Amino acid sequence: MTAPVLQVSDLDVHYGLRRRRRQALQGVSLDVSAGETVGLIGETGSGKSTLARAVLGLVPSSGGRIVIDGEDVSGYRERQWRRLRRRGVVQYVFQDPLRSLDPDLTIEDSLVEPLLIQGVSRREAVARARTFLDRVHLSADLLPKVPGEISGGQRQRVAVARALVTEPRLIVLDEPVSALDSANRVQVLEILKELRGSGVALVFISHDLGSVAGIADRIAVLYQGELVEVGAAAAVINEPDHPYTRLLVSSAPTLRAASATRAEREELRALLSV
Amino acid sequence: MVRRVLSLPSGRIAVGLLVLIALLAALGPVLAPQDPLATSDNTLASVSWSHWLGTDYLGRDTFSRLLDGSRVSVLASLEVALVALGVGAVPGILSVYLGRVFEWGTLRLADTLVALPFLLFAVAVTALLGNGLTQAMLVTGVLVSPLFYRVSRAATLAVARSQYVEAAIISGASVGWVVRRHVWAKVLPPIAIALAQTIGVGFIIVSSLTFLGIGVQPPAPTWGGLLASDLGYLDYQPWAPLAPAILIMLTVWASNLLADTIRDVSGEAGRAFVTHRRDVRSAHDASDQNATAHSGGAR
Amino acid sequence: MTLLSEKPAAVRPAPTVDPVLSLRDVRIGNPHTGAEIVHGVSLELTPGKVVGVVGESGSGKTLTCRAALGILPANLAVTSGSIEIAGADISTLGSREWTALRGSTISAVFQDPASYLNPSIQVGPQVAEVLRVKKGLKRREARHRAIELLQAVHLRQPELVYSQYPHELSGGMLQRILIAAACAADPQVLIADEATTALDVTVQAEILDLLADLRDSTGLALVVVSHDLAVVAQLCEEVLVMRDGAVVEHGPTSQVLYRPEHDYTRLLIDEHEQYGLHRFVKGKNVPEEQAS
Ligand SMILES: Nc1ncnc2c1ncn2[C@@H]1O[C@H](COP(=O)(O)OP(=O)(O)OP(=O)(O)O)[C@@H](O)[C@H]1O
Ligand SMILES: Nc1ncnc2c1ncn2[C@@H]1O[C@H](COP(=O)(O)OP(=O)(O)OP(=O)(O)O)[C@@H](O)[C@H]1O
Ligand SMILES: [Mg+2]
Ligand SMILES: [Mg+2]
Repeated sequence: MTAPVLQVSDLDVHYGLRRRRRQALQGVSLDVSAGETVGLIGETGSGKSTLARAVLGLVPSSGGRIVIDGEDVSGYRERQWRRLRRRGVVQYVFQDPLRSLDPDLTIEDSLVEPLLIQGVSRREAVARARTFLDRVHLSADLLPKVPGEISGGQRQRVAVARALVTEPRLIVLDEPVSALDSANRVQVLEILKELRGSGVALVFISHDLGSVAGIADRIAVLYQGELVEVGAAAAVINEPDHPYTRLLVSSAPTLRAASATRAEREELRALLSV
Repeated sequence: MVRRVLSLPSGRIAVGLLVLIALLAALGPVLAPQDPLATSDNTLASVSWSHWLGTDYLGRDTFSRLLDGSRVSVLASLEVALVALGVGAVPGILSVYLGRVFEWGTLRLADTLVALPFLLFAVAVTALLGNGLTQAMLVTGVLVSPLFYRVSRAATLAVARSQYVEAAIISGASVGWVVRRHVWAKVLPPIAIALAQTIGVGFIIVSSLTFLGIGVQPPAPTWGGLLASDLGYLDYQPWAPLAPAILIMLTVWASNLLADTIRDVSGEAGRAFVTHRRDVRSAHDASDQNATAHSGGAR
Repeated sequence: MTLLSEKPAAVRPAPTVDPVLSLRDVRIGNPHTGAEIVHGVSLELTPGKVVGVVGESGSGKTLTCRAALGILPANLAVTSGSIEIAGADISTLGSREWTALRGSTISAVFQDPASYLNPSIQVGPQVAEVLRVKKGLKRREARHRAIELLQAVHLRQPELVYSQYPHELSGGMLQRILIAAACAADPQVLIADEATTALDVTVQAEILDLLADLRDSTGLALVVVSHDLAVVAQLCEEVLVMRDGAVVEHGPTSQVLYRPEHDYTRLLIDEHEQYGLHRFVKGKNVPEEQAS
């Protein structure tokens, strides 16, 4: 097994100052190796986005360690973060495909931006942008368009392509498919599967258990700021251990079977509060 | 952006007028047919072949003075705008990014400037830096800068938390990059509107300062100064203030028009607006040539 | 009230109640170019009825909802057909009548919650504002009721959330706040356009229960737009399937989602099932034929 690309150990994150100070993450530990996809699920407001943002240095951690690609980034200051980010090792894909692309920039400008920041020449950057646009199965005709002129699914694939251009070792995806229709969702998920083959480590955050189960090797479950369960995808979905995971899996609506009734859910909730 | 501004008639008119005024500023002193400072006995003459706009109370050719004064007037207004941008807009944008101390400091400073009595400040600065147009415009620029500070800060705040800015930061973008690439285009329209207003205010302030003996000294002509002195001889030449007034109004109007156009075409809504205008126009074209209405309607 | 409508009401078995929202062959397009985006949508919503709208991205679902609320983008308009809210044809409404109608008769929750909240005002007062304007509550009462509403949408620590700013809350929390604000003035019709996409399934289940309760107790009628067919299947009696601005199939849920007639509906269901949870759960794999 290769060394993990991402190692999070005992991570604490707090928001707010003094009286408003509250803990958002508590003692979270998680490793992600090259070529592995870890699905992160959990209640809304449980801290999934916070974990992602802490890993990317967008929120400061108040305890614990984060190691990215062998580099301990825990005490990093802004300048050190910038140096790390310029290498293009970590990338992020947001949920909302409309707002994650600058509405005033053309697709080409958005795609080459990370490369230009690295100091790559514009010509080469455009050439690479084309390659990666192809990787996400989009045609080069889109390059001169602005985000408002293409569909939501196309936008999200552009966002994935933008995350790929720097050939990162780790990509964090925060609900990349929840704004998409089923056809686009399938397409984006297939692209992510292809990526996994090329050795990129993925952290995939989603509320859609089907997508997570379909793409993740392991699943981690966050509940109220704590990681309550981590395990192989099939195991977590089929034999959930923690009551919250049980509640989550049984609440998921499917077309084929009825999900848990109100009474069943209340029973599981009662288990949770003890 | 430039292309979208020019795609609207109002944008073309505004840009055309401003180019004309810029030309006037560049070539005016050269074009002036007579020495703008040469006095003669022929005072307060009316319009004639030798004096297109008559002469003033010292017998100087008004047309030449107007042309000669255009450079100083326009440069002075530009100076106000640039000072306001530098002292107001830039810190306004950066106040969002450079941390709490800078933010707190600039916010207080902006409040102080608003509260400062204008004349006192103007007199103090001219006492300190000497009396001249440059100094006077510096004062004016600094005094209007809080407007720019607030406008640009508000616009930046709206962009600062957007996901595309975060995406750029995650790729290692510096503050400068984020501002140039993402923030600037969204902050520009409100700043342009403030700028257009300031140019108008600038002309008026130049003239009121001249009146007080601050800034331009009387023999050297400016548009504002001409307007002020012409107003003193209304009894003899009631039409005289018209020419400088029209020039000032035209400049102010053209800059306001440009600012409006920039606002109309910027951002998401702006793009839709431009397309909408194009649709309306092509719909008109289509109904004009009724025969081809069906095939010519779209696009 | 129905006297206002010119066309005779559609012949339905025992039309006991008047529809609160009805769309008749609504077409939406750009009146200047003549380009049409939505090619005729009809639906009728009586109190307590829940209609689902599904279909691919860009098929005009959101535009149809916006048309019903009178908030189409500036360059688009309803080019033919009619929309009636509680018996009033919306093309005759002035802006004052709209203001009276929105919130208290018809209200909506859209997918992107952040853009419907003012980022510089705490979220609680924004909900309370609705109560003060629409229901004439006093400041204190409004605050009290707003906190109750935040509790009803299962936000933990509603008092704390009340005083937080939008950027301090997660996407799912914001979405629930919008749902609370939309239900604040007891509307008769609620349009939920992807209103539960940012929620985890446990909270989603609770919100769906909440909506179902409102439907049963106050006769709230719902239009549910969703990419998640399972949500639609669970909540709706009737489904519209849209594609490229046209309705390809319209009927009772048990028929459309379980015995689809149109090829496109079948494709949609296949695509949905490709990453359906049942494929990964051993116990849940139920034979295809078993309908609701
Ligand atoms: N800037 C902030 N200031 C204060 N509290 C915050 C801030 N950002 C997030 N929080 C709080 O941290 C907690 C976790 O939020 P986070 O966004 O990580 O949740 P999440 O798991 O991503 O939820 P969702 O699934 O709804 O996106 C929430 O209770 C939220 O209110
Ligand atoms: N202001 C506009 N001007 C012109 N066309 C528009 C405008 N707004 C939307 N459209 C077009 O109308 C079509 C329908 O858009 P709509 O937002 O209703 O789709 P949708 O079914 O809600 O899709 P999604 O599931 O992605 O939200 C799209 O093709 C879109 O490009
Ligand atoms: Mg989140
Ligand atoms: Mg939509």
